[in-house]
Amino acid sequence: MTETREVTAERGPFFFKRELGKEEGEYKLVGREIERPDAFSKIMGLTKFTADRLTEDVCFGKIVRSKYPHALIKRVIVDEALQIKGVLAVITAKDVPGENQIGYAIPDQPLLADKKVRYIGEPIAIVVAENEYAAEKGVEAVKVEYDPLPAVFDPLEALKPEAPKVHEKGNVALTTIIRKGDVEKGFKEADVVVENIYYTQRQEHAYLEPEAAIAYPEGDGIRVVLCTQSPFLVREFVSRVTGYSQSKIKVIGAPAGGAFGGKDDMGPMVASKAALAAIITKKPVAIILDKEETFVASNKRHPAIIRYKSGATKDGKLTAVEIEIIYETGAYANRSPFVLWRATVHSAGPYVVPNAKVDGKSVYTNKVFSGSFRGFGDPQIHFAAEQQMDELAEKLGIDPVEFRLRNVLKEGTRTVCNQLLEESVGMEETLKKVAEAANWKKKREELKKYRKGSKVRGIGVACAYHGISTSRGVPDWSAAAVLLNEDGTITYRSTITRLGQGSLIGHAKIVAEILDIPLEWVHIEEPDTSASPNARPTHGSRGLMTGGTAAADAALKLRRTLIKLASELLNCDEKNVKLENGKAFCALDPSNKIEFSELAKETYQRGYQPAYYGFYFVPRRYFDPETGLGVAYCVYTYIANIVEVEVDKETGEVKVLEAYTGADVGKAIDPGLIEGQMQGALAQGIGYAISEEVAFNDGKIINPNYTDYIIPTVKDVPRKVKVVIIEKPYSSTAFGAKGVAEAALIPTAPAIANAVAHATGVRVRNLPLTKEKVCFKLKEGKK
Amino acid sequence: MQVNTQEIIISFTLNGEKVVKNVQPNWTLLDLLRKKLRVRSPKEGCLRGDCGACTVLLNGKPVNSCLVLAPKVDGATIVTVEGLKGDPVFEALKETFAEKGAVQCGFCTPGMILSAKYLLDRKKNPTQEEIEEAIEGNLCRCTGYIKIVEAIKEAAKKLI
Ligand code: FES
Ligand code: FES
Repeated sequence: MTETREVTAERGPFFFKRELGKEEGEYKLVGREIERPDAFSKIMGLTKFTADRLTEDVCFGKIVRSKYPHALIKRVIVDEALQIKGVLAVITAKDVPGENQIGYAIPDQPLLADKKVRYIGEPIAIVVAENEYAAEKGVEAVKVEYDPLPAVFDPLEALKPEAPKVHEKGNVALTTIIRKGDVEKGFKEADVVVENIYYTQRQEHAYLEPEAAIAYPEGDGIRVVLCTQSPFLVREFVSRVTGYSQSKIKVIGAPAGGAFGGKDDMGPMVASKAALAAIITKKPVAIILDKEETFVASNKRHPAIIRYKSGATKDGKLTAVEIEIIYETGAYANRSPFVLWRATVHSAGPYVVPNAKVDGKSVYTNKVFSGSFRGFGDPQIHFAAEQQMDELAEKLGIDPVEFRLRNVLKEGTRTVCNQLLEESVGMEETLKKVAEAANWKKKREELKKYRKGSKVRGIGVACAYHGISTSRGVPDWSAAAVLLNEDGTITYRSTITRLGQGSLIGHAKIVAEILDIPLEWVHIEEPDTSASPNARPTHGSRGLMTGGTAAADAALKLRRTLIKLASELLNCDEKNVKLENGKAFCALDPSNKIEFSELAKETYQRGYQPAYYGFYFVPRRYFDPETGLGVAYCVYTYIANIVEVEVDKETGEVKVLEAYTGADVGKAIDPGLIEGQMQGALAQGIGYAISEEVAFNDGKIINPNYTDYIIPTVKDVPRKVKVVIIEKPYSSTAFGAKGVAEAALIPTAPAIANAVAHATGVRVRNLPLTKEKVCFKLKEGKK
Repeated sequence: MQVNTQEIIISFTLNGEKVVKNVQPNWTLLDLLRKKLRVRSPKEGCLRGDCGACTVLLNGKPVNSCLVLAPKVDGATIVTVEGLKGDPVFEALKETFAEKGAVQCGFCTPGMILSAKYLLDRKKNPTQEEIEEAIEGNLCRCTGYIKIVEAIKEAAKKLI
């Protein structure tokens, strides 16, 4: 295996200090918390979400969905629907002008089912009407004749040879593998071995804003406005489905009312339907899912079954892991190849494990498809890995934090994939700082006093790591554009989208810092595929790291131009030209200066280039999918969570009282935004750990609303949450930043499970930790 | 929304202004506000009374406007954030929500602020429990509520 860097770019903190001629402490925006520039417009309800853009002339598309989990479609009868006043068209698979195919990595998923349906809720037809009511009536009037087939709802059943086949090729969508060292030898060297099976459930994103898209026919092309995580991916899918060339499709990324991965997968699917409807009816058409449709038909977090065996020596060193991973992908593969690989390459947790044997399978069933969801395969695998760590520690009589510290990845060590970690590895420091903030040692002892009566308390820890950007050798890049206007203001363009996380605010801070101008001078344009460079998707915690580095690239190019120009105008050597507070001056004589607006004007007058395209290609190296060895990700974010819980032994209720969450983020461009991401992810992780589970009855989702699917309210989150930010800069990105949006969710469920075990002595290896499960385990006793 | 049914004329005060409108009997207040009057701050979240994104003040009290039938508001007073400019409690909340970073995607924000305003109108110095009670019906999937609670506490402090 080769380990030489094939593509590399040195851009870390030292580079920026040198380039800007400043110490980090002198930065005005980078590293400092600012008030969000978009807060007021959101408070006042002025921010235009997709549905806020509806006008009277927009028609509505509603979707006819499968009533069967598995059936052949004999006929779709639309005549009656077409008779309804206001109904303009009923679109079925045969009306798709391009390819009826929206499979993400594997071409297994039609936009509109034609021959066969594979889950309840699968789209079969689109009814387009002048108003919502007529469209709804039209949906009721479409008759679908089915030939029901036997269905399979359980991944283990689906793996049996006699199981109904969800797809012709069989029920295994794909497999993954790691073979490192010699596990047999590893387990022989172990003094303790722990083996368990873990189960995790389907989680729904439950963003407040439902998926929505409005498509407008425009000249010989089409414009689509929607809440999405990737305008360019939407364009690719719309092009594939409609047959329009990409240049004739314009996709606008509206702000989203939450996304969390869901709108990454759903955006292209909803947009393609709206575009198709608009092209066929030649009218603007909106498709807005209602909340129940979102629950029933949008992608979910993969449920998992994980068999996990791990061993350690009595001095607390891990020797081997053997892991079997089954991720249920539901009816279609969607993002499964990426989700399963992510789980596989993170399967040992952030620790050094010399011997590993890991086998992953992604399995089809007749349920709604799984897909992207904050953490992307990592929460499930860490739920298993981190409980294993606690059990090993317990058997060895070593404190769980101490045991982890003896095994954590550090610079110079190798991951389970044998990837050599050269830099930016802050696991040890993060865990130490979080343990310190939580007063771990003292609390762990003290809480033992809360063992009498029905309410008991415990404290638990879990760590995690999470690779940023794409996995393995899959190329990833980002782009941005910085345009200097004649009055000295900046127009900034990127297609990183606005999901509430604030990545674009981070980009604007980076641009303003590099040019040393006030943040208000940087105007962020709406993401638009016809005007903005392709920043690629807003997922995998990459929006700031990759998009922000592209922004920095563009801003640096402009900076160099302005320095050259200022040197000419001020008659001052370039190396003495300073850009500061919206001015350029000569360091030798600060009174020899020029305002930024003047500089901007002169840029145009003197024929200097006023606009720059910024580009960033993420470092890539070799990964061997046959052995699972190689460089899995260019860099990782390291996370540690500690939670204190109270368990009511009578009711089984688990309440998180306090939480401490820390991450090594490389460089915090905005500590306030990071805190917001960490707190939000933690809350979503608490929901995942305790209350959230999409429930089925014969393939039908029985809790498709917030009454029955319980997400945390203000009363379910801890009153005390402390966020710890660790900075171990990465040399390839702007100021050394890594990603953080997904981080805090990943170790939340295992930290809670470990805390419950500390409080009660029993271990629940099956998510979520509902009252019933905890009660049952307590009755069953320590088993 | 349904067409071809008997329309009803209603009149009510919206953000200080008198509105007279023909409505269908099955329209909700949220339909009326968003689709007919183009008031965009109440949002369509769940449309079944679970999320609070559609919160408005009806005769001073926060309600889920997706559950209120439009004909019911005849003679009532409706307030949304659009009508609160200059209101000291609202202005304080507006500032602290921004300062404390209590806004992420912003979809829950107008509704959340109305629930908080109703609390602070009645309680000068609310306890943690009272704040939690006040916003329990407003779901937020982004923030984990931590900064929202901080912002409400801070606004209460500013108002003393
Ligand atoms: S939209 Fe009214 S409560 Fe959710
Ligand atoms: S800020 Fe997004 S739902 Fe509250």
